[in-house]
Amino acid sequence: MSRKENCSISAALAAATCTLLGSGVPAPVDAQEEPLWDFNTSLLYYGEDGDRVKDFSVSAIARRMFVDDRFLTLSLTVDGLTGATPSGAIRQDVPQTFTRPSGNAAYTVPPEVLPLDDTFKDTRVALGAGWQQPVGETSLINVGASASREYDYTHVGVNAKMARDFNQRNTTLSAGFAYSFDSLDPVGGAPTPLTPMLDVGDTSNRLGDQDKDVLDLIIGITQVLSRNLVVQANYSYSKSDGYLTDPYKVLSLVDGTTGDTLLRTLTPGVAGPSHQFLFENRPGERTKHSIYGQVKYYMNGKVLDASYRYMTDDWDIDSHTVDLRYRIPFGADSYFEPHLRFYTQSEAEFYQLSIPDSQPLPGFASADYRLGNFDAITAGLKYGWRTRNDNEMSVRVEAYRQSGTVPSSQIIGNQAARDNYPDLNAVIVQVGYRF
Amino acid sequence: MRRTIGVAAAALLFCAGCSSMGVEPWERDILAKDEMQLTTDELEAATDDHIYFSKEASSGGRGFGGGGCGCN
Repeated sequence: MSRKENCSISAALAAATCTLLGSGVPAPVDAQEEPLWDFNTSLLYYGEDGDRVKDFSVSAIARRMFVDDRFLTLSLTVDGLTGATPSGAIRQDVPQTFTRPSGNAAYTVPPEVLPLDDTFKDTRVALGAGWQQPVGETSLINVGASASREYDYTHVGVNAKMARDFNQRNTTLSAGFAYSFDSLDPVGGAPTPLTPMLDVGDTSNRLGDQDKDVLDLIIGITQVLSRNLVVQANYSYSKSDGYLTDPYKVLSLVDGTTGDTLLRTLTPGVAGPSHQFLFENRPGERTKHSIYGQVKYYMNGKVLDASYRYMTDDWDIDSHTVDLRYRIPFGADSYFEPHLRFYTQSEAEFYQLSIPDSQPLPGFASADYRLGNFDAITAGLKYGWRTRNDNEMSVRVEAYRQSGTVPSSQIIGNQAARDNYPDLNAVIVQVGYRF
Repeated sequence: MRRTIGVAAAALLFCAGCSSMGVEPWERDILAKDEMQLTTDELEAATDDHIYFSKEASSGGRGFGGGGCGCN
């Protein structure tokens, strides 16, 4: 915005100077002075404690400006993921053996240890393209497409957004939609839901590829309230259809009295699960509604950025998110920005720690900790500065902590003495460079 | 239904009030600053959306955010 204003001011000054000197206005002055491309790049490290997920990521957004305020935006992200993630099975006092998702091998988890699936390795490449241009005097339209590819997942999406200004550009109404066509090709094939984990080499309960479509709609209003205060409010709707189950997650089938996972009869000479585990199953539809509000307030050079989001869905998950950032200038060309984020969610109606054998098999069940009841907090600090060649650089370091609880009604027998919810601690380090 | 009407009425009142709010075009010096844009760093916002989408059951709000991956 400010660069554009500088540009129009310099163009106006050039025109005025030329007029004063009695010469014509040199037409290409704009094109010569304005850099056509600008880039926003970053390196990210996301690391969970222990042997859990680590992600190294490189991202870039390139933006090319054309005449009449039209922009082309291209984006690229490459993620390299490694590490282990909770499989959904509960801890036991004895070792537990699992068949790997590929169905080609088995691994054993020691007693008292949370079962993690350590085959989580992936490279993800995501591309995006967008075109933005004014429509008439007061409207803006933005259309885009996105695609991403990882070993077992492919995403293709389209999106469009329109915004219109009112009241001397003090009020902006916007509306947009996005549609995703995603397909899953899980390692070893997607398992038939709620069927047992089988011996190594037995793929009789594996299905083929799966699909998922997601429609997102958003409407919003942005309002300038004063010279230093602007607010935004959005409503968004999201409808997912298709295969929403995590093909790698399981639940332990447990004794209805002791809460211990049932042993399994082993096939002689074949490696396979030591206990009984069932693949999870989620509904094939999910509808989410979100209300989002944001305030930006400028106070003598400092900027407060506060937002709140309420989300509710038909899986019975409600969540609240509060995000606070406070930018404090440090000298003429740099700033510090502390960041705090609070998040809380209730569990999905079909979330359960384990499946007791004393009850009929549920229609839907998942022990995925991300569908459980938990709170999370992020605390971080960013430092940004303008480089000698007038580019922008920033470094942020954040800590993310998730801690949850399993509803007491779901805890059976010996489970009460175990830590049933896997706490998560992660570090986020991101270095950004804009030029 | 009553709740929907209430929300709609509140939204209309809010919008009706909007016409008297705001600033004159020559008072936009502060609002035009980079740090006063609703999203100051698009890449950082996208990174956060992606991280939280893959670790929590919520997504979006600010925009479409986060999707298009097998992480959730």
